[in-house]
Amino acid sequence: MATAMIAPETIKEIPENDFFLTPSCILGAINPGTEILISRIYDLLGLRWKAAGDRPESQCTCCTGFSSHGDLISIESTLLVTARLWSVAAEVGIENITTACVTSYAIHNECLEMYHHEPGLHERVDRWLQQACGRRLQLPKHVVHASDIMYRNRQALAEKLRYRLVDHNTGRPLRIVDHVGCHYAKVFPEKAIGGSESCDVLAGLIRAWGGETVDYPERRHCCGMGFRQCAIRPNRGYTMACVLKKLESMEPWKPDAILTNCPGCNLFLDKEQWAILQMTGVEYNIPTLSYTELAGLLLGWDPYDVVGIQGHTVPVEPLLDKLGIPYDKSKEWIKKENQEATSELA
Amino acid sequence: MKGDGAAAPKMLPSDLLSKKHEELDLIPDSELVTAYEQLRDEESSAGDAYPNIRYLYGTSLEREKDRREIRAQAESCETEMQQWYEKARNEPCTWWLKNHLVAKHALKSCLACGVCTAQCPAAQYYPEYNPRIILDTALSDNEQRLVELLKSDVLWYCGQCSSCKPLCPLGNNLMGLISSLRFLAQLKGYHLHSVRGRQQYAMRHLCGGNLWNRACSLYFRNVTAEGHPDFGPRHAKYQSDAEGQMVRLGANPDRPGHFGGRKLSPQTLAEFRSCLASGGTLVLWNQLEECASEDAGASGISIDEYHDRVHREG
Repeated sequence: MATAMIAPETIKEIPENDFFLTPSCILGAINPGTEILISRIYDLLGLRWKAAGDRPESQCTCCTGFSSHGDLISIESTLLVTARLWSVAAEVGIENITTACVTSYAIHNECLEMYHHEPGLHERVDRWLQQACGRRLQLPKHVVHASDIMYRNRQALAEKLRYRLVDHNTGRPLRIVDHVGCHYAKVFPEKAIGGSESCDVLAGLIRAWGGETVDYPERRHCCGMGFRQCAIRPNRGYTMACVLKKLESMEPWKPDAILTNCPGCNLFLDKEQWAILQMTGVEYNIPTLSYTELAGLLLGWDPYDVVGIQGHTVPVEPLLDKLGIPYDKSKEWIKKENQEATSELA
Repeated sequence: MKGDGAAAPKMLPSDLLSKKHEELDLIPDSELVTAYEQLRDEESSAGDAYPNIRYLYGTSLEREKDRREIRAQAESCETEMQQWYEKARNEPCTWWLKNHLVAKHALKSCLACGVCTAQCPAAQYYPEYNPRIILDTALSDNEQRLVELLKSDVLWYCGQCSSCKPLCPLGNNLMGLISSLRFLAQLKGYHLHSVRGRQQYAMRHLCGGNLWNRACSLYFRNVTAEGHPDFGPRHAKYQSDAEGQMVRLGANPDRPGHFGGRKLSPQTLAEFRSCLASGGTLVLWNQLEECASEDAGASGISIDEYHDRVHREG
């Protein structure tokens, strides 16, 4: 069953250019290629972006999202941390926040919305921010996720692709199941392209790049990352159960890959396939890629040196074989030349 | 707070890494914090702050250093929000629901349609979990029911995914409500009554330790193969050379830069810490320390053993 085209009124305003890119804790910790690929694709599209100011006190920190949903951070601290990031963006003359992480996207939007709902909050946070670090509260014009920018530019990217989402031997469009991050589509459904039920932010990329999408029954089910659920070992059964539910639901459609826009989903839909094999004996082996990883591969960028597919638990090479993308398996684990050696503590 | 005048054996900074809490406990605050900073910054050169921070995460020393720093700042209680959260600890739970910034905007009313529970991944996994009943408890204005909820394990089952929100006919924000109630449970020490609640001490030093020392909730060295046996042998292989693979891709593991694993400047870290403190978060972190210390004492175990236990029980 193909995903339907979405109604024009469900497409939100996405800024054209000038982005302040805020990084992701999870991507940075375990899937760094995805985050760096955002910057590479911005550069390829000729977009202007920054990730910090020029002063040593103007670097980009965590938004607190993982810890905030881990119930460790007061909402006022989160308001101050996001306000500080907005101040750094304003310092470099940028009004559009683009987040690498969907939880950051929701956090920034929640903070922005609170200023509209809570009388006097703007003045209080402005005062606290001045006291805390001498900065002023300046609300951004837009808060969007980096996948929104890819969606806006999907046709421009399609024109630059070296490979299409088709089986290069047969011409069959590859069947890609999307998994949109909950914090992209469900916290503010009205800000999700296509809404939360028929979100198109990833499906639109798949169609534009030649593939076929599937609206499988548990398409909207959470991956189960759950912050404190994945971080604390005895709670991880919840995460595994959610991943299993999704895999069982998508398996009848024989997907060639799973596409994600959330750091946590990309991590757990991939890595828990190994745990599920141990638990159930069922080997799903469905490659799981983020939207920038898929774009990077289709653009012909090196699978190991640029995209970083060696970080995935489910091997991506069988997908590359279908796409006709060459790779040198012997390069999988080599280190970059001139890499700085790790010194031991004296 | 350990007075600087207390008699204690002088230790070389590098000796401190192998010390357990009982030994570190004897060292005065300023000496301990200074020793940590010396160890972190040893052989520092211009443009490379914190050259040894990789060796400090997850250690008893870092936890003890954090404990002292947070306690000193929390007890000074200088900011408006620190004072607000100190006051809130002693107010009824019903007061919290009407006054906490998230809680008071989270709920409108409830039709009892149950769509929140029908959509909830946690309710599908935990048979005893029902977010509609949490909502009903919050709307009941019944202090006893709220206290029972805050002492329960079910409060901690929510995965914070917000699957309940899009289909709620009244637009209730259960994700926000539950997070707010969890915050209150910890402020009041009710989290000690549940296994899942006690796990917050592990979260405090995992994510909280990373935030306080690295301005990032997760650190790439956290995701060890031993800590994640569910991730399998390919992850173990990647993680054994994570730093090398990150450099290969253009990330910044324990280096200056914009991307994964980056070290932030001391000036940025100072601004970030000020934001956390000004927003009142340190009141919670100090309360978590006091509760953990009390609970460990009641169990006859050290705080290090307690920290290990809450990572594993559940």
